[in-house]
Amino acid sequence: MEKTYDVCVIGAGIIGLSCAYYLAKKGKTVAVLEAGGFAHGASGSCDDMILFQSKKPGINLELAFESLELYRSLRDELDSDLGFENYGGMVLIENRGELQIMEQFVTQQRNYGLDVEILDKKEMRRRQPLLSERYIASTYSPMDSQADPFEVMHAFSRHAGRLGVKILYRSPVTAVEQKGQGDYLIHYGIGSSLRALQVVNAAGAWAGHIALMVDENVPIKPKRGQILITEKIPKLGETNLWSARYLVTKLSSDYVIESTEEERQLGLAFALTRSAGSSYLIGSTREFVGYDKGTTMEGIRAIIRQACSTVPILKDVHFIRAIAGLRPATPDGKMILGEHSSRPGFFTAAGHEGDGISLAPVTGKMLAALVCGDSLNAGLKELSPDRFNVRNMEAV
Amino acid sequence: MKDPRDVFICRCEEVTLREIEEAIEEGYTTVDDVKRITRAGMGLCQGRSCSKVIARLISEKTGIPLSDLLQTGYRYPVRPEKMMVLDNDGEGDE
Repeated sequence: MEKTYDVCVIGAGIIGLSCAYYLAKKGKTVAVLEAGGFAHGASGSCDDMILFQSKKPGINLELAFESLELYRSLRDELDSDLGFENYGGMVLIENRGELQIMEQFVTQQRNYGLDVEILDKKEMRRRQPLLSERYIASTYSPMDSQADPFEVMHAFSRHAGRLGVKILYRSPVTAVEQKGQGDYLIHYGIGSSLRALQVVNAAGAWAGHIALMVDENVPIKPKRGQILITEKIPKLGETNLWSARYLVTKLSSDYVIESTEEERQLGLAFALTRSAGSSYLIGSTREFVGYDKGTTMEGIRAIIRQACSTVPILKDVHFIRAIAGLRPATPDGKMILGEHSSRPGFFTAAGHEGDGISLAPVTGKMLAALVCGDSLNAGLKELSPDRFNVRNMEAV
Repeated sequence: MKDPRDVFICRCEEVTLREIEEAIEEGYTTVDDVKRITRAGMGLCQGRSCSKVIARLISEKTGIPLSDLLQTGYRYPVRPEKMMVLDNDGEGDE
């Protein structure tokens, strides 16, 4: 007879581990099944950001505020510094067109409660003296932060373990069967299985495959992000950096940037984060290439070209590694969180794309509340997996 | 040195034998898992020497055959490279 748990979490990325920790805190018995090893997927191949400035006013920004507060308190709760840093962030603006869009965006964000402002060239260069001369202004927010995903995941695992959570690595889920109400049979690895009253699908870019095992629709596509890691170097400037170039095209659909076909294919956008290891993480591409998580010479070369033109001193810096992760992307840019109404007891918590680190604590906390049947704020409805349910749409 | 377990196994990231043994005891039993837990092998040399020592430590503690633990294949860049080497419009044959 298989062992029975209250909840089986599928996926031990930062989202799955956060869910497991918060479920255990609420007294649930939990098993976590992970196809790979520790931090083997997108959570371990990312650029550490808890970024506010990229978010439009709305639920993503609201949840990011909540998550930041949770990170601050988790440092005590999990007895780890979590590699948490609060360097602040600047979005670099190259021309008048970008400036106009960013000014409007900053105003919207300020109205929503985000501490953000536009800096003129002089003030921008005071904080970032090594920047290329071509930038005319930037934004600045003291709220942009970061956490070390490895530290966070290890801390969640350690404390979940103390609360009795069983985490099984190299245990890919092969089938999920609903045997009855509140009775799921989950097959994994080579011929192993376990039973659970409820299932949480936290399989990131693979969440669609897991959902299909119970005939549910989770339209998540893998978006590959390649990132370079530099050798350890002193701080280059006061804050982490992004370029407005990519952001403005998302904010204003009629704004066209000059870019080459290759840049469009790669979905290149500049991001520079100081990592927990005193190196820099330089990103990133956004490519739809299926489940291939290899790095490519085209990607590496494009990231380097962009980085050296933004912060020219990087030419003299060594890069020591290139990594790639598959960001789980949803059609509307919002994560999927909640129970599938046509499959009671089956929950999805996935689809964070580039916000997994940002939103992991708040996702785990809300998921645990949903699984326990607590009432949550009505805003969560817009994250529900039911929004992609064809049967629901036909009914409307 | 007070305790031989304080010796550095990964010099790039200054990870000690104690930290590596603790990670293995916690149940992380591949070189990659230990790397992601301790940062051993994430530094300038990318685990060129320490990854073999770590593989041996895991093997000794768990009984997993060493040949199953040693890493195969490396991906680009195989050693640290200055960014300017690729910062050109040619095909990188400088």
